[in-house]
Amino acid sequence: MVITFILVFVLGILAGVVGAMLGLGGGIIIVPALTLGFNMPMRTAVAASTVCIIATSTGAAVAFLRDRLTNTRVAIWLEMGTATGALTGALLAGWVNQRLLFILFGVLLAYSAYNMFRTRKEEHKKEVTPDAISQRLRLKGSYYDKALGRRIDYQVSRTIPGLIIMYFSGAAAGLLGIGAGIFKVPAMDQVMGMPFKASSATSNFMIGVTAASGAVVYFARGDVKPLVAGPVVLGVLIGAILGARLMVHMKASKIRLFFMPILAYTAIEMIYKGVKWW
Amino acid sequence: MVVGNGHEAGAEVHPIELVLARLLRLGSLIAAALLTVGIALMTMGMTVLAPKLITAGLLVLLGTPVMRVVAASIIFTKERDWHFAFFSIVVLCAMAAGIYFGKGD
Repeated sequence: MVITFILVFVLGILAGVVGAMLGLGGGIIIVPALTLGFNMPMRTAVAASTVCIIATSTGAAVAFLRDRLTNTRVAIWLEMGTATGALTGALLAGWVNQRLLFILFGVLLAYSAYNMFRTRKEEHKKEVTPDAISQRLRLKGSYYDKALGRRIDYQVSRTIPGLIIMYFSGAAAGLLGIGAGIFKVPAMDQVMGMPFKASSATSNFMIGVTAASGAVVYFARGDVKPLVAGPVVLGVLIGAILGARLMVHMKASKIRLFFMPILAYTAIEMIYKGVKWW
Repeated sequence: MVVGNGHEAGAEVHPIELVLARLLRLGSLIAAALLTVGIALMTMGMTVLAPKLITAGLLVLLGTPVMRVVAASIIFTKERDWHFAFFSIVVLCAMAAGIYFGKGD
């Protein structure tokens, strides 16, 4: 038992570091590792992974908030989309064709991976002109980039398309059980014109909220097994604190280099899931 | 507002960020402490108390994002930032409804 505890704990640290650096929940690491590596039932793995998303978000947010990488105003604006989307997703589950959705979202992710690859060399974006809502809600932000050694001021644009994407990302999370952060980072980075590090930190901040209602449900159903979730969540918490400190000192172009393969992998995996039953 | 060199600028934080950071740090510290003690006791063979402590730690962790949205809505209301106070309440309602309907099946 002690050996399993240690292994699961180490797995948690790894997932926490990766999740915090990239603004993802780490589910793509935890779920396959627990089901394939430790022969755990899918429900137990998904429930543990949902609590881990909260751990990643909470552990990393402290450092990101202090460094002002997290844009709390953008986060709350977009959380309206993810939270209502997740609700819609939960209500529609069982009524919609999952295969089609997997393919649709897979293609979307593949496109955003391609887009990120095209702009991989950019360390910062061209001037972004804020739209009316962004100005009215004062969504712009600024932070001190420790990797570049200077202050980055940025504007936010296309607030409504961003909100709509978040709604669908929330619905996808509710319907397909995936995509804690994988849609959020590209939406802010590529659509709304936010710097990559601010997008990642803000996504990280938001995923905890999206995961919380799901986690409560898993708890109520008894799917959260303390002996599985305990060590992995503790590992993720520690990993996320470390990952956040690392990320703050990393260049955006380098973090993107890690993000792209994960994006491409998830895209392929989703399309495969949609196609394989045909 | 803008003072001194970059490092000072990096440390300069909005009150809301500071309050939320404190809240999240408190939540993760309590959760980590409960989890650590729970796991340690489990390895020592205290199989009755240990899972309870671990569950308590997981529940504290689960409560932090909810508390975070509640705290944000209170701060925005105090600052009379009605837009964002309203947005926070929309988020809270959607979360509550998600839990309600999720339990249904």
